[in-house]
Amino acid sequence: MGAFDFLLQGLATAAEPMMLLYALIGVTLGTAVGVLPGIGPALTVALLLPVTYRLDAAGSLIMFAGIYYGGMYGGSTTSILLNTPGESASIITALEGNKMARKGRGGPALATAAIGSFIAGLIATLLLAFLAPSIVKVALVFGPREYFALMVLAFVTVSAAFGDSALRGLTSLFLGLALACVGIDQLTGQARLSFGVPELLDGIEVTTMAVAMFAVGEALFIAGQRNHQEDEVTAVKGSVWMSRRDWARSWKPWLRGTFIGFPIGAMPAGGAEIGTFLSYATEKKLTKHPEEFGNGAIEGVAGPEAANNASAAGTLVPLLTLGLPTSATAAIMLAGFQQFGLQPGPLLFATNPTLVWGLIASLLIANAMLLVLNLPMIGLWVKLLTVPKPWLYAGILLFATLGTIGANPSSFELGMLLGFGVLGYVMRLFGYPIAPIVVGLILGPMAEQQLRRALAISQGDWTTLVHSPIAAVLLGIAALALIVPLILRARGKGQVLSQLAGDED
Amino acid sequence: MKHFVLASMFAGAIAMPAMADYTIIAPANPGGGWDQTARTMQTVLQEEGISPSTQVQNVPGAGGTIGLAQFASQNKGNADALIVGGYVMVGAILTNNSPVSLKDVTPIARLTGEYEAIVVPAASPLKDIAGLIEALKADPGAVSWAGGSAGGTDHIAVGLIAKAAGVDPTKINYIAYSGGGEALAAILGNQVTAGISSLGEFDAQIKAGTLRLLAVSAPERIEGADAPTLKEAGLDVELQNWRMVAAAPGLSDEQKAKVTADVEKMVKSENWQKQLADKGWSDTYLSGADFDAQLEKDVTSTEAILKDIGLVK
Amino acid sequence: MPRRRDTAALVIAAGLALVAGVMLWDSARLADLGGYSGVGPASVPRVVAYCLLGLAVWTVVAALKGDFPARPQQNVPPVLWIIAGLAAQLVLLHVAGFSIATGILFAFTARAFGKTNLAKTLPIGIVFAFVVWMVFSQLLMLHLPPGPLEHLIFRQG
Repeated sequence: MGAFDFLLQGLATAAEPMMLLYALIGVTLGTAVGVLPGIGPALTVALLLPVTYRLDAAGSLIMFAGIYYGGMYGGSTTSILLNTPGESASIITALEGNKMARKGRGGPALATAAIGSFIAGLIATLLLAFLAPSIVKVALVFGPREYFALMVLAFVTVSAAFGDSALRGLTSLFLGLALACVGIDQLTGQARLSFGVPELLDGIEVTTMAVAMFAVGEALFIAGQRNHQEDEVTAVKGSVWMSRRDWARSWKPWLRGTFIGFPIGAMPAGGAEIGTFLSYATEKKLTKHPEEFGNGAIEGVAGPEAANNASAAGTLVPLLTLGLPTSATAAIMLAGFQQFGLQPGPLLFATNPTLVWGLIASLLIANAMLLVLNLPMIGLWVKLLTVPKPWLYAGILLFATLGTIGANPSSFELGMLLGFGVLGYVMRLFGYPIAPIVVGLILGPMAEQQLRRALAISQGDWTTLVHSPIAAVLLGIAALALIVPLILRARGKGQVLSQLAGDED
Repeated sequence: MKHFVLASMFAGAIAMPAMADYTIIAPANPGGGWDQTARTMQTVLQEEGISPSTQVQNVPGAGGTIGLAQFASQNKGNADALIVGGYVMVGAILTNNSPVSLKDVTPIARLTGEYEAIVVPAASPLKDIAGLIEALKADPGAVSWAGGSAGGTDHIAVGLIAKAAGVDPTKINYIAYSGGGEALAAILGNQVTAGISSLGEFDAQIKAGTLRLLAVSAPERIEGADAPTLKEAGLDVELQNWRMVAAAPGLSDEQKAKVTADVEKMVKSENWQKQLADKGWSDTYLSGADFDAQLEKDVTSTEAILKDIGLVK
Repeated sequence: MPRRRDTAALVIAAGLALVAGVMLWDSARLADLGGYSGVGPASVPRVVAYCLLGLAVWTVVAALKGDFPARPQQNVPPVLWIIAGLAAQLVLLHVAGFSIATGILFAFTARAFGKTNLAKTLPIGIVFAFVVWMVFSQLLMLHLPPGPLEHLIFRQG
């Protein structure tokens, strides 16, 4: 019961009017900066952290929590409305969300994202509060071979995002894997495919690539077809609010997304985006409306958004229990905590309960505040789509380049933005899906490194990959996911399946 | 006419005196050690009124060498530009064949530093550093070491340890992770034999009893850390992962003296000391000729060990 | 009409083969530092390169069978305006500063979408970019390259 008392005490502190005001300011600032394409939650938090320094510990924690949630939700907003994901975890949201927005269903898409994020945040924060020490024990069992198996599973399942052509989907994926090889090989320090260009030594920045492929490529593509009026975006068709049917189709994905995202976020090398990939694939498999996937299926927004938020709360598990910052955002949070003399580590829950529970309470309050602030704002956000195209796209490109320049003000990075923007345009022209190339760039290095680490530890023994039960089970699921559709097709059900694979981008 | 106006605007901008406040380049992404050092400097410089409006700029990439190259080429003679760097840069310059080295900037002072710690999981059968060295000698491949990126401080330390123990440094089984956090998870999860990183990364775990500290790379025992130095264990290895601040190339002696004085004022302030204590960094301030000599020594020894490991030809 | 599509697809196939070739060439030069894992830095690039070669062949087959979807009709000038805007920003960023460089990008993009009066859109773009610059560099301390315009108004930074 001790833990529960601490939580209540923390909530009481966080619910004071001044604290609520700080939460509101934090959420507003976070959302405002987070909506800019190319500025993900890590940079948002880094930029706004100094604002919190002027407050006392309780005040800064709550404002900080607000900034964190606001920054994440802001990224989803622009992904849905403008197809410009500012970070890898909202790429999947853009897939279905933007399709919905174009059909005049931007309101329900934003609402299901907001409510899904809230529910996922709520459940995941409670899991964090009460189960963190046990979850972390499980997470630590994951070594290189288990991670490799997880990556294999992610590869197999994201092929659900490949669209109607296996050839073009695989080409896009392998181009992403090729780009992923660029840069210093992390395990041996050797430079690969960098041709003596120092800027290439660190590889291709995922954010730059995502912004270029989605925002710039999209702008070029739309500009190219500007005389075709039938593609006109409708701002609102039907209700801005979610219908009964939307609710019925959203609640299960929210819950599934939460339970997929949270454990993956809690793994020290999981990464938020993998949860969104797996959630998307799950929803696509389970949906009763497969024909809508690729054309704006609400499940494809609800699930991944919930997974993203749950995994963000999951990242706090290793941070608070072990002092492990497992993402850039978490590393910045750690710096923020140290400001109030809080040293994350295994003893934190015991030595500093007031602050820890204060933080957890702050997260809960900020999460609720986000919903309060953003649900009424949806009508306003959707109006963004009524901005005349010349100004809208000029603005998108302005902010997309601002994000890139702000993160790294080099002409080289801008050159990459332009180059990949043109690539994104050409790929759209020929019907290549955009998501797999970015997925390849993200998953490629993770899979390669984990495989090589696993083999180094086993001194070159490949059977190590199936020697751990977890790895074997994950690889088994991946194999089933690959083989079952083949068998079904061989038995003459191919027709059905190819209809299931909706077309996309 | 329009051209003239434009041209005079440009000329005006160039002729204008440079802004009076420091711009600090953090040659890394937000969140890392160099970024935090730069941002802490920013806070202290501003609050102490040494430089009321200080800016931090992140120029990430390739162990800091991209930021270093950009800094050296764009700021010649600019006394308001500073860059944060550290020991990792020494190795990165060598492994990346960087055209720009620390000789191309004006190192001002070493600010903070941490020593390396060698740990094993609490469940490990290895009880002390002698046991670990014995295992290493018996079969270097069976001893896997988790640490930071290839060619970084941790990797160099393992190479030095192997060499001092008489084991071929090319035979070490070093598993590089992207950062201390990921490596720590692998050690705690019993995935590897031993782990190596800055003591600060492991401190909380050691206190909680989930990791066993075997040795530290300091010249003498560290207060509060219950372990011998590598030297005591008969291995002639001493390594400090330091962070420094450097100024632009081509400064006059007066300019250099002013920057040095400003940095000293910052380091001596109570505010700085408090920030260090909050972050658990130790003050290893060193400037002037002493720092230059130390730097020279580090560059020579690092080059030698990177060649031994086989990362630099 | 189908023949034109085929040519484009064949160019794509050639491009894929070229990427694969570059990767194989680059990986041949890497030292084999596989160490204890047996999988060195060159292994994965090689596997990816062979897969790309396979995809190139597949693309050729698809192109010959006319399996590629019809391309939407494209209007080239607007696309070039946006590319020119991005290129101008890239070139001018460190010379003319954020506001002017980004203002040009803004105006060119608006031009691509039908606002052809650059004399009007250029000032709007520069003023808008300058306001953005102020908010981010002065309030949030994000470093965005200043130029003559920024120095003119914030002489003391």
